[in-house]
Amino acid sequence: MNPVGIPLKEPSVSVAAGDTEQLERALIDASTRVPVLIFYTSAVGWLILGTLLAGFVSFKLHTPDLLSDISFLTWGRMRPAHMNVMVYGWASMAGMGTAIWLMARLCRTVLRYPLLLVAGAGFWNLGVLLGVGGILLGDSTGYQWLEFPSYAAIILFVAYSLVASWAVLMFRFRRGEQIYISQWYLLGAFLWFPWLYAAGQLMLFVVPVQGVLQAAVGWWYANNLLFLWFGAIGLGTAYYMIPKVIGRPVYSYHLATIGFWTYALFSSWTGMQRLVDGPFPAWMVTASIAATILTLIPVATVGLNHHMTMQGYFPLMRYSPTLRFTVFGAMSYTVFSLVGVLISLRSVASYVNFTQASIAYSHLGLYAFFTMVIFGSMYYIVPRLIGREWRYASLIKLHFWASAYGIGLMTLMLLAGGLTQGASMENPSLAFSESIESVLPYLRGRSLSGILLTASHFIFAYHFGLMLFGLGRKSTVPTFLNPVESEGAEVAH
Amino acid sequence: MKGLTALFLGIFGTFAFSWVGLTVIPNWQIGHLNPQTDEEGTDVYPMPQSGMVTRGARVYAANGCNYCHSEQVRAEYAGADIERKWGDRRSAPRDYIFERPVFLGKMRMGQDLANIGARAPKEEESPSPGGSPAGSPGAAVQSPAPSTEQPKIKGAESPGPSPASQVATSAAATSPTVSPNSPPSKSPAMAGPRTGIASPSPGAAPAAAASPGAPPLTGPPWPEQTAGLPPMYSAAWHHVHLYSPRSINFDSNMPSYRFLYETRRISDARSSDALQLTGSDAPPQGWEIVPTYDAKCLVAYMLALNQSHPLKGVRSAAAPAAGSPAASPSPAPGGQPAK
Repeated sequence: MNPVGIPLKEPSVSVAAGDTEQLERALIDASTRVPVLIFYTSAVGWLILGTLLAGFVSFKLHTPDLLSDISFLTWGRMRPAHMNVMVYGWASMAGMGTAIWLMARLCRTVLRYPLLLVAGAGFWNLGVLLGVGGILLGDSTGYQWLEFPSYAAIILFVAYSLVASWAVLMFRFRRGEQIYISQWYLLGAFLWFPWLYAAGQLMLFVVPVQGVLQAAVGWWYANNLLFLWFGAIGLGTAYYMIPKVIGRPVYSYHLATIGFWTYALFSSWTGMQRLVDGPFPAWMVTASIAATILTLIPVATVGLNHHMTMQGYFPLMRYSPTLRFTVFGAMSYTVFSLVGVLISLRSVASYVNFTQASIAYSHLGLYAFFTMVIFGSMYYIVPRLIGREWRYASLIKLHFWASAYGIGLMTLMLLAGGLTQGASMENPSLAFSESIESVLPYLRGRSLSGILLTASHFIFAYHFGLMLFGLGRKSTVPTFLNPVESEGAEVAH
Repeated sequence: MKGLTALFLGIFGTFAFSWVGLTVIPNWQIGHLNPQTDEEGTDVYPMPQSGMVTRGARVYAANGCNYCHSEQVRAEYAGADIERKWGDRRSAPRDYIFERPVFLGKMRMGQDLANIGARAPKEEESPSPGGSPAGSPGAAVQSPAPSTEQPKIKGAESPGPSPASQVATSAAATSPTVSPNSPPSKSPAMAGPRTGIASPSPGAAPAAAASPGAPPLTGPPWPEQTAGLPPMYSAAWHHVHLYSPRSINFDSNMPSYRFLYETRRISDARSSDALQLTGSDAPPQGWEIVPTYDAKCLVAYMLALNQSHPLKGVRSAAAPAAGSPAASPSPAPGGQPAK
């Protein structure tokens, strides 16, 4: 494909947009500048902290004596600290940053009530800080993804209420009758999260349910957080970025609608498949397995829609960082869902239950899908907030490949390791310790992938820091990953 | 796309549907279970936890034990749990009605702990003739005779403890009541003339050596057991294991939890709960390593993990034909046998 024929210079749906429309967009971008950058900067800070924690967690799992004598560095505290920093610090804050920017753009109105967001970001940071500190000091509640002690959870909830009320207010000021599909997802995410968080907190801490139901509520919460919060933001972002960058409308709006409703309906019923063979009524697990299989409908519609939108434009991934990250994320969504279906089938589940495979699954969802989409959106949004372009194409490329290979290696290692571990665990003629030993080589491989991911995150944070301090390129042309040959002059870096 | 109201209703409706379906209805179905009793109303199971055990659960959560250890035994058709002697029946919802938080677990980088307390040496659990509970810090969790919890393992049914004493059943082995053969007590209050670090109590080594042939639940998951250590799965053993896992099982992947232990100078006599450590782990001359209160609570919690009591409607490997699953208010987890 001839790169001249594609709208790389002005990535916009409305190629024939007039000056007024461009001006309007610039005004909207300018109005989102402070809140979105606060969210992004905090998120990148948490990303670095979470990455360092992840490195320790990964190494300590196969080298248990590493730093084990200090209470707050013990594996069992660093692991929840890592997960919560990534979930609430990095992923939630970066996702909210992108979602805020998208809401302003899609509502076609300048951002109102920025103080709500600034306060929200401040409280959110405080909540995560207190929560992680609490976990490291031994205040963890012991519920997966809800480990934050209650004093931190309350602050998080207050912070979130500020952000969500802002989103609803913005929606009232929107211009135009059209509600773009991304807004469906974003509105869903903004409304689902507080209900979900409140329901989880209420049923576990305020009026706790009895016995094993705590585990059911815990998994219901964790899975819905993954799908209805992160998944919805990720898909909404992908639905915006892909058409935007290639300058082409979404292939089928009808498919998008079907995808959204089936996604909301089926993915929210998953979660209990993780409790397979546990002390629960069989129908709960069966219902979730069925729902997991039914999520193939939204996966197929969303995947098909993105694919048909991209049809003929795939070579653009050679140039646009946003497109490359976003398409990688969107494809990972399909892989994530397929793996989810695979490991929830009863015959497979009896092998991968209680193994590292479930870690592979959550990393596929949170990293390969969500985080990559968010990276893509940040490569698109940050230059529009700062008025500078990304400085080094080489750093973006390094970031992408380190992330892609890192998460790919991690997934393979953990899936293969999980299967091996499960196969030895299910074989009673092997001592239990052999199942642990069989997975150790894979865990070392996972640590290797962690080094790649650490490198990629430091590169990104450095690059983001350059942008933040106004050291980006002054240019009207976005930074392309590879020089657009026919334009000759534009060689990024 | 129009219809903002429809969008709101849909967003709310899908969420409410899932919330009702996956949390409210199960709560209505199995959320209000009562302990089971026999006809006379004496043999109550499970019992509420108290004192040190509850605090031990918090220590367990705080240090993330639940990320590597599950606390659930799956049915025979679903996995090798029962063949691995992690229990003699599958876990049922009723086993957990007093657990909070409940640590079902999702990962097994370590063994399942659902029955770790049931694997403790019997003398730790049996009613101790001479053990005076009076001055013990764990008075709240006084040691009754929990051997009722394993009637099917040992034929030796213990004299049924009174219902009152059973309240603390699950906390049994945490209390420092000591039978002649038991390892050093953990109670600092009872710093009597008990044998200290150097000489394991006389019964220790034989008990350890005998464990492979012992009742199924006490079979070690690894072949080697260093001689001279406290009897496997006893409280003293757990302390050594937490302090230095690889001194017990060379292949162990568990981090050590030395920060739960205190190294201190021996003032007059060695403390009775000092750890029996050997080799490089042993403290220098004149020093001893003792568990903190948190460590004692953690071990108390582990020793209270015991699902060996038969449940109506749950078939037990040791006592088959205990009833049909249909009798249980909770349908059999996993439902149909997969294979």
